[in-house]
Parts: sequence; C-alpha cells; structure tokens
Amino acid sequence: MRHRQVVALLALVGVLLSLYLTLFKLGLVGSLQCGTSGDCERVQLGPYGALFGIPVAAIGLAGYLAILATAMVGLQPAWIERPGPTRLLAVFGVGGVLFTAYLTYLEVFRIHAICRWCMGSAAVILLIGVAAVTGLVNRRA
Amino acid sequence: MAAAGSLKPFYIALGAIAVVGGALIARQAMGRGGDRLPSLSAAALPPLPVGPRGVVLGSDSAPVHITEFADFECPWCARFAVLTFPDIRRDLIETGKVQWRFVHFPLDGHQYSPYAHLAAACANDQGKFWPMFDAIYNSQGDWVGASHPDRALRDVAQRVGLDMPRYDDCVKNQTAWPQVLADKAYGDSVGLSGTPTFLIDGHKVEATPTADQLTAIVDSLIRVHAAAPTAAATPAHPAAGRR
Repeated sequence: MRHRQVVALLALVGVLLSLYLTLFKLGLVGSLQCGTSGDCERVQLGPYGALFGIPVAAIGLAGYLAILATAMVGLQPAWIERPGPTRLLAVFGVGGVLFTAYLTYLEVFRIHAICRWCMGSAAVILLIGVAAVTGLVNRRA
Repeated sequence: MAAAGSLKPFYIALGAIAVVGGALIARQAMGRGGDRLPSLSAAALPPLPVGPRGVVLGSDSAPVHITEFADFECPWCARFAVLTFPDIRRDLIETGKVQWRFVHFPLDGHQYSPYAHLAAACANDQGKFWPMFDAIYNSQGDWVGASHPDRALRDVAQRVGLDMPRYDDCVKNQTAWPQVLADKAYGDSVGLSGTPTFLIDGHKVEATPTADQLTAIVDSLIRVHAAAPTAAATPAHPAAGRR
C-alpha cells in the first residue's frame, strides 16, 4: 500500500498549492509570489480562471481533498486490503491529469501565460496519476 | 500494530508538509491584513477637487496629449513602463509630438501599491518623479511582496538620488498623499475598469498598446490635426462653400 502513502503525501502538497491559489482568488493573500511577469495573476484572474463560475483553483482544491481523503481511508486497517480505494485513486489520478492537461493547454495556447504555481500543481497531479495507476497495475499483477 | 508502526514515518512526513505549507500560506495571508503596514486612507483628508491631474512629461505645445492611469503594483503597467515607455519617450515625447501625463491610480486590491505611489509623489515634490517612476517599475519585484515595502522603496529613492531627509519626512507625514488621492479621484471620475488605461486626446484606450501601435495612432492624429485647420477654413471660403 506504499502507493497510497505516496498519493496522500502528494495530494497534501496539492491541497496546499490549490489552497494558496484559492485564497489569492478570494483576495485573502494579496499578491501572488510569482515574480513580476504578471503571468500568474493573468491566469488566475483572467476569463479562464473560473469554470461555471467556480474558481479553477477551488475545483483543484476539492479534487486534491478528495484524493487525500481516499488515500487516507485506504490506509486504515479496515480498508487496507480492499481494492476500492486503489481503483478510486486511479480514477481520480487519471481524471486529474486530463483536467490539468486541458488547463495547461489553455495557459499555453489561449492565455499565452504560464503560472508557475499551476505548473507545480500539474507536476503534482502527474505524479499522483503515475503512482495511482502503478498501484492499480501492481495490484492486478 | 505492525501496520501502525510502519505508517509512523508516513504520518511524520504528512505532518511536516502540513505544518510547513500551512505556515507559509499563513505568513502570506497575515502580511495582507496590515498590522505591520501603516494605513494610507483618505478618511482624515478634506474633499479633493476632481479634474485633470497627474505628472506631465513633454511640451505643452505637443499636438497630441496622452494620459496614462497606472498602478505601480500592476504587472501590465510595469511591463509597459519597462519595455514600451522608453521608446515612447524617445520617439514621441522628446520629439515634441506627445505630451504625456501620468495619473496615480492605485488599485484597491493592491496592498503594496500605496507605498510606491506615495514614494513617487514624494519624489515629484523634489522634481524627480520620472527617474523615480522608472526605478519603481524596474524594481517592482523588490518591493512587491517585501515584508517592509517602505524600506525597499526608500532604497529605490536613495538610488534615484533624492534628498533623503526630505523624502523621509514626506513619507512619514504622508504630505504628498493628497496628490495621489486627487489623481485617484480623477481616475474614478473617468470611469476606469483597470490599469493601465490611456486617454489619447480624450479617447479612452483600455488595452496596452505597443510602441509601434501608439506611434501609428499619434502620427494619424497629427495628420488629422494638421488637416483640421484647412477643413475648418474651407466652408468660410465663399467659392469653396458653393462647390
């Protein structure tokens, strides 16, 4: 169940990253620590910074919390041998990678600005996806 | 118990990430509220007249007048000031085509901006607004996010060569702050939605033009101005009027 631990640690990093961006979006942390290019603010405060009226950072926060909760439940003695959490983590991981790929496409080809915090989050979700799918494959093998 | 024992390093790592990450975010959030940042407000000041204001660069007789409403913390304003404005200054202002007017417009959501606008207004009191303008934008990364933006901006003022006792007095007593507030009131009266915003001979432009675009606009306006007296004179000419 090592992969559930790895996923949980990565998900916590993702929670913190997306929490920071969500707090910025809500105006609670002032300026983003993102150099002077303005790219982070352009991405976060631009028209693609929200989906159906919900800040993208808040969607990410909810996703990371769901992954963290699933991984933590999966580490409890009552669940540790059950396959459900591993499958669910794989679904969350792959879904998160696809969603992040879409967001990265928007940054590169539509917004023409790269938010380094978003790139950090993209790296985290990619690692979560790899760990979760690896866990699923190893379980079946 | 064996499972719990093997999870101990995991929980330690989880706790460490939570504590370090949470502390960093809390530190950033605490900096916003402003216990350690002095307040700059209009509350104690008398009502200010609203009208065209700002700091002017260039000849009064220039055929085109451009007003820029800008915020020193705004990254787009900084990009314009650093990358575009030097060309505009050289090609349009120093050649006498344009008179440029900078109007302070600190945005409400920018916590560091008031310090920079106050510093620039204090530099203006010493006749050194434009060197300070350049230096503030060029060093935006040094004072935006700084735990003591006033100190970082004091270093900028020192590099610009201001009379520091006068500068310190101006900043401490906020004597130049009414200039900023009056500019802000002017910007509010124009109805701005963001920065930078430009008024080019009275026409509002809410995008950030390149130097080439601005040069093309100015040249076309100069052609229009040059043609205008002829056009105005034409109807007065009886023969021309009948044609």
